[in-house]
Amino acid sequence: MGKSTPSGQAGAETLPRRRRRAGRNEARAGVLFALPWMIGLAIFTAIPLVLTFYIAQARFQITGAPKWVGLQNYSAIWADPAVWTSAQNTLMFAMISVPIKLVLALCLALLLNRVTMLSGFYRTVFYLPFLMPAVAGSIVFILLLNPVAGPVNMMLQAMGLSPPDWLLDPKAALWTLILLSLWPLGVETLVFLGGLQNIPKDISEAADLDSPRGWHKLVWITIPLITPMILFNLVTGIIYSFQVFTQALVIGGTTGKPAEATLMYMVVLYRAAFRYFNMGHAAAMATVLFVVVLLLTLLIFRTARSWVYYEGESR
Amino acid sequence: MSEKTYAVPGSISRRRFLHGSAAAGAIMALPGATLAQAEGQLLLWLPGGSDLFCKIHTGLLEGFSSSANLGPATTVCGLGQDTEFTQALIGSITAGSPPDISMLWDSPVSLGAQGAFMPLDEMMKNSKIGIDTWPAGLLSSCQFKGNTYGLPVTAGVYTMWYNEELLESKGIPSDRASFPKTWVEMRKLSKEFTVWDGDTLVSAGFMPNRIPETMAIWSALNGGMLFDEANLKYMLDSEQNIEMMNFFLEWLDEEYKGDVNLIDRAGNFKEAYPDASSGLGPAFREGRQAGLISGSWLMGDIYADPVPTFTRWNMAPIPVGPSGTTAVSGTWPNWFVIPVGSKNPQAAFDYLSYLAIEGSVEWYQQIPDVPTNSQVSLKAPNSLIENRGAEFADDLTAFLATQAAIVTPMWNSPSQSFGNDQMARAMEKIYTKAASVKDALSDAQSAAQAELDRVMAG
Repeated sequence: MGKSTPSGQAGAETLPRRRRRAGRNEARAGVLFALPWMIGLAIFTAIPLVLTFYIAQARFQITGAPKWVGLQNYSAIWADPAVWTSAQNTLMFAMISVPIKLVLALCLALLLNRVTMLSGFYRTVFYLPFLMPAVAGSIVFILLLNPVAGPVNMMLQAMGLSPPDWLLDPKAALWTLILLSLWPLGVETLVFLGGLQNIPKDISEAADLDSPRGWHKLVWITIPLITPMILFNLVTGIIYSFQVFTQALVIGGTTGKPAEATLMYMVVLYRAAFRYFNMGHAAAMATVLFVVVLLLTLLIFRTARSWVYYEGESR
Repeated sequence: MSEKTYAVPGSISRRRFLHGSAAAGAIMALPGATLAQAEGQLLLWLPGGSDLFCKIHTGLLEGFSSSANLGPATTVCGLGQDTEFTQALIGSITAGSPPDISMLWDSPVSLGAQGAFMPLDEMMKNSKIGIDTWPAGLLSSCQFKGNTYGLPVTAGVYTMWYNEELLESKGIPSDRASFPKTWVEMRKLSKEFTVWDGDTLVSAGFMPNRIPETMAIWSALNGGMLFDEANLKYMLDSEQNIEMMNFFLEWLDEEYKGDVNLIDRAGNFKEAYPDASSGLGPAFREGRQAGLISGSWLMGDIYADPVPTFTRWNMAPIPVGPSGTTAVSGTWPNWFVIPVGSKNPQAAFDYLSYLAIEGSVEWYQQIPDVPTNSQVSLKAPNSLIENRGAEFADDLTAFLATQAAIVTPMWNSPSQSFGNDQMARAMEKIYTKAASVKDALSDAQSAAQAELDRVMAG
């Protein structure tokens, strides 16, 4: 009977099978397309991550085999004054640069949101600094802030001001590094801009009618509606600022010149690994940083429930 | 929608995928294949250095390889200095494709102790460069737990360099014998030349030392030491070292307005080379500084750009500190090592034997790094004879030999880089007034000793 079944019936019977087979093929294609990324993730992220946790509990100096030492590396970093100095500098850097960066990026996004002419041009211009390699950017700033021949100090002197030794004075160097971190604001600005442009027009117009004061609308309508973007920029900003490395290394070298003012946690980690070849120490530092950043991120996500508003979400 | 829409395996077939993987694997394996080094062909790595430096070593290795029928040799120059070079070297050792020979500008003890370099003792026993042919103080910079991990084939010898013309312009005798013998005398003489225009340093005499690598010499001149090799103990915060840094700090306050940044704004008064970060020229070569400590290698570079504005420079022994009794000198050696995994260890060692005796003489003729093996007799470099005459050149060569004989032990810690960094950090804190002398040296001492203990624990 099966062989003499009308075609319509046969089609009805095979449709689920065809769908299942198509689904399997789709899944296989998906896996294949994702495979290069998955292999890359495994080789360059997952395996090194696991190895880092292992090496953190070993004495390993690259040329020999790792030797298990338990928690010795953690007690060594606890006793290392450079770790504490760099942690303090990094914390200070994060605490000051992240909020300033968020506020500046938001201001810039608010401005760009109002620009109607050449908006694409302005967005590109503000994004461009992000595309410049950090090393090149740092060198440019070293030249700009040179106390003798740098144009910044020359301009300040011409205005009758007494310019600081931006990168030579230990009291000024960390602030200069913070200042430099504010330069590439493109990503944060674009994220905020995306949020601002997604605010429904009816809400915005209703707010305009309700209150003529612009800051009322900003505080009670705009900012609450872009809190998911603030959360995103805050989390990525904190992660970035705890891992600040390139600018600090180019400007302060491995000793954090001047007088350890620019010594950042990642620089100490780098020099432990690649100057002193003390991989265990470096891996322990990396593990501690991983845990601290993870905890901070989790804490932010935890508090985010009370201040981040997602459209369509019921409270 | 037809089934073909889903037929992805048709577009990326397993066979194609395998072909692609094989091609990718071949591309990844290619660098290893091209880097693989044939037996009998020597490969030498050099850290930074001038084009002339590279040319000298390329010529020396090619000449040796040719005379020993070793086949074409390769010299890789300018692989970076300090950390970058060491990273590359360690990377090549762990990857199993190291050079046969490498020059180092940092003590080989630390990495040798970690198993990165071959111990040379067995090969030295039956060679013309046996242990007894090297100055013990210098060779100790390569030795750890009874093993010799490298050879200090040549060394720049540190002395005071001074501008005879500037001294004479003030009616001060410019001969070597009249040069200040103590720090106090040098500080007194320095004031004669130090001129300020507001906050701009126009010219200077001598400077409190700011080169971390030479601190071992200044410490020894004050009767102290930075590292006690016999007891494996750092001595950074010893009384002599605290006194030394206090002396330098008082000098800075008295003569240089207590502000190193003001000095740095006016030029490079630290060294006789242009400052890499600011681009400012060397005040000594510009005729704006009476004198400074520098290595003998400056003889080779002084006529390069920027040329000195004066012709009559000279060298003198480094003065003695308030608590010091004897004059000492110091060196910055050019170490050579044979990395573990070298394809031609015996040929590499034979090259080191040649370089230590015959090669170093040729090297000295062009760049005056002083040969250190006792079998080498020094001749004045031709460039020096051409520029200053045979008498001056012979006198200076003899002087360098006397200075090389009184070098203080340095570069001998198993955690040398770390110790140097700690000293550099302490000096910066002291000179920028970020910490007191005692606190800065005490911090440096704790950190350096902790690292040394860690390295010694193995």
